Amino acid sequence: MSAALDIKGLVKRFGGLVATNEVSFSVKPGESVGLIGPNGAGKTTIFSQIMGELRQDAGHIALDGTDISHLPTPRRIRAGVSRTYQVPRPFSDMSVAENIRVGLMPDSIWQMIRYGPNHDRESELALSVGLTKEQLQRQPSELSMGDLRKLEMARTLATAPRLMLLDEVFAGLTVNEIAIMSSLVQSMRDDGMTFLIVSHDLKALEPLIDRAIAIDQGRLIADGSYAEVIADADVRASYLGAA
Amino acid sequence: MLQVLIQGLLLSGLYALIAVGFTLIFSVGRVLNLAYGAYLLIGGYVYFHFAQTLGLPKFAGVALAGIFGCAMGVLKYQLLVKPLKGNHVAIEISSLILAVFLQYAVVFAFGDSSKILLPIIPGVERVAGAAIPYSNLFAAIASWIILIALWAYVRFTHMGRAMQAVSMDAKGAAISGIDANRVNMTTWAISGTLGAIAGVFFASYTQLYPGMWVAPLIVAVAVVIVGGIGSIMGTLLVAHIIGFLEVLTSSLIAPELRGVFTMVLIIAILVLRPQGLLGREEL
Amino acid sequence: MGLRWYHYVLWAAFIGGMFVLPEFVSRGTLRTLIFANFLAIFAISWDALSGRTGYISFGHTFLIGIGAYTTAILTKRFGVPVEVSIPLAVIATMIGGLIVLLPALRIRGSYFALVTLAMMELIYQLVQVIRPDLTGGTRGMSGLPTLTRGAANGYYMSVSLMLAIALSTWLLMRTRLGTALWAIGMNEDAVAGSGLSPTRLKMIAFLTSAFIAGLGGAVYIHYLGSIAPRALFDINFVFTIIVAALIGGAGTIVGPIIGAFFLTFLLEYLRPWLPGAERYMVYAGLALILYMVQPKGLASLVTDAAARLRRAP
Repeated sequence: MSAALDIKGLVKRFGGLVATNEVSFSVKPGESVGLIGPNGAGKTTIFSQIMGELRQDAGHIALDGTDISHLPTPRRIRAGVSRTYQVPRPFSDMSVAENIRVGLMPDSIWQMIRYGPNHDRESELALSVGLTKEQLQRQPSELSMGDLRKLEMARTLATAPRLMLLDEVFAGLTVNEIAIMSSLVQSMRDDGMTFLIVSHDLKALEPLIDRAIAIDQGRLIADGSYAEVIADADVRASYLGAA
Repeated sequence: MLQVLIQGLLLSGLYALIAVGFTLIFSVGRVLNLAYGAYLLIGGYVYFHFAQTLGLPKFAGVALAGIFGCAMGVLKYQLLVKPLKGNHVAIEISSLILAVFLQYAVVFAFGDSSKILLPIIPGVERVAGAAIPYSNLFAAIASWIILIALWAYVRFTHMGRAMQAVSMDAKGAAISGIDANRVNMTTWAISGTLGAIAGVFFASYTQLYPGMWVAPLIVAVAVVIVGGIGSIMGTLLVAHIIGFLEVLTSSLIAPELRGVFTMVLIIAILVLRPQGLLGREEL
Repeated sequence: MGLRWYHYVLWAAFIGGMFVLPEFVSRGTLRTLIFANFLAIFAISWDALSGRTGYISFGHTFLIGIGAYTTAILTKRFGVPVEVSIPLAVIATMIGGLIVLLPALRIRGSYFALVTLAMMELIYQLVQVIRPDLTGGTRGMSGLPTLTRGAANGYYMSVSLMLAIALSTWLLMRTRLGTALWAIGMNEDAVAGSGLSPTRLKMIAFLTSAFIAGLGGAVYIHYLGSIAPRALFDINFVFTIIVAALIGGAGTIVGPIIGAFFLTFLLEYLRPWLPGAERYMVYAGLALILYMVQPKGLASLVTDAAARLRRAP
């Protein structure tokens, strides 16, 4: 069985800066992998390259054995990968329901016109991430950070991904909200979703992942169980060096 | 040939002056000031009113045009740009509305017909069969002096360097304690002054009429697009490319087509190299 | 499409009202109304692209001009009947629009506005010098076949066209396509991140806009019976269209219509006091204030009031 995500020799340069330097790793179907490293290590850059928002200078990205390295973003999403953002960016003038609606749309203009929105599916998705029925008609500006992250999860789920990339899902959340988000990810793991998760909150991240990958200055420096990676000398040095 | 060279140089100097005020705003505030052409319009009419109708000294007329332009820049920043808080689309649209408003304000005050500006310095020099009015020569020289002064200002003064900083990285500049509000206001003031003075020269080059703001706006836009965002040297270079292109087109092909290549250049550059030919982002 | 009973009632009342209007107004007013109808069509066209997707077109008369010139040249120079030339003009506008659009699609934000502005100036200059035997050069063409005779007929034709365009655009924008276009205006990257191709959506918006502009432009020219380059490819004309859409309320269909009628009648009522072009000063000043105070337009005042009424016990 081919890996859910397979990355080989990924390189991205910004002028003189090498943001991702020959990064290779893979994620098995149903696995949850944590991506850790200090600020500016290149974690978000890797996400952006997987999604096609940034084009890699070299290397390959494969999803379930299919090479997606040169596909535009929307086609990668149709291929089954989807991400959330560090700073949630909903469609600001749309209600929660409409935000989810955009995620649910088919990529066919004719079907968009022919068939109306699926209100049941919209509220089902909202409820599944822990938003309430009343919040469906709310504007994003009226939501708390925790609820905005939930909305982002719902929007991401709406595209029916098999692999989800979560970027700093716990940032800006209260202790209570972290617990809710954590159990949400946990239950999706139980349903067989594959995850790649970036987080600075290692304590919250640990129970959610099967494996950890550490990145520093664009390089992969450790890959193994959470305990191994955290104990790794290079990883410790990279965190201390950055602090 | 010599004629083309001289005409090209004169026109290019003027274009550089027209474009630089627009470039400044685009570079520092990241705003397309579509009302920029209206500064030229107002500058031209202020000069006309004070120097020609009221008969003040010509130098005073130019100075008054500059003061009016400066005031307009500041007012526009305070009343329009600041309240719209970085909403670029809204700023651009309201700028366009403002430009049309000013155009008809001029119609209201001075009438619809075009006015002939008397040359700032009368007289004509003949070089190789080409008549070169002293006025145009003066305009080109003044443009050069103003551009060099501006370059020195940006390079060597505290405020100039703050402008550079904001243009490169607005957030970083804010963190390092630069008062973005003051920098922006100064930029709008300088831009307005330059625009209005350029307007006096431009109007004496062509003629003074209420719709005259569109042509220089297009020139400024072209220079910014082709040169990339906001370098003064880039502005100078591209102003010469466009100036010579126009002079060559009108003397070799047909005078009516003079603007066509400017337009084609804008479109081609935007499509092929959206970051501009030079693509630098500092002043 | 989620149509409710009050949608039918409001549209029926609006259409009915527009059709009985000639019974109550003078001939002069009728001519003003005709211009308002055409302005509304152009504003709807602008809004379908710019109001929705946030890609501001400053050269929209470029599209209107292609439609207008195509039908003018076909009828005047080649004797093509109007029934054939107008559909051809619409097709030409859509193709012409696409040729511009395909490259311009890569350009975001302010730069898109600049390309469209440059495009308009380019075509203005070209029309005057390339084949003036066809285009009529700087002076344009007159004596084009007209579709109607008399103010009343002109009114019925223009109002039918305007209402048909308004209703169909309204229905189209109520579908999920409308929602997706609206989403592009807010956050294009997030649209791509939802698995939708922004390029294809923008293309549809542009084609819709070009269709309306081409149709409106062609019919407008056959109402006027003449065509002149400066009247078409003019920044003031673009300005009037944009202001109509914005004052009424961008991203709605009612908005551009309200805006167009408001502006046309404002200009008409100012005429006794300010007979010349300086009327535009009042008009632009008012537009500027209205836009600064309520960027969402007059239509939002109505919807806000309706929402408040609904919420009230």
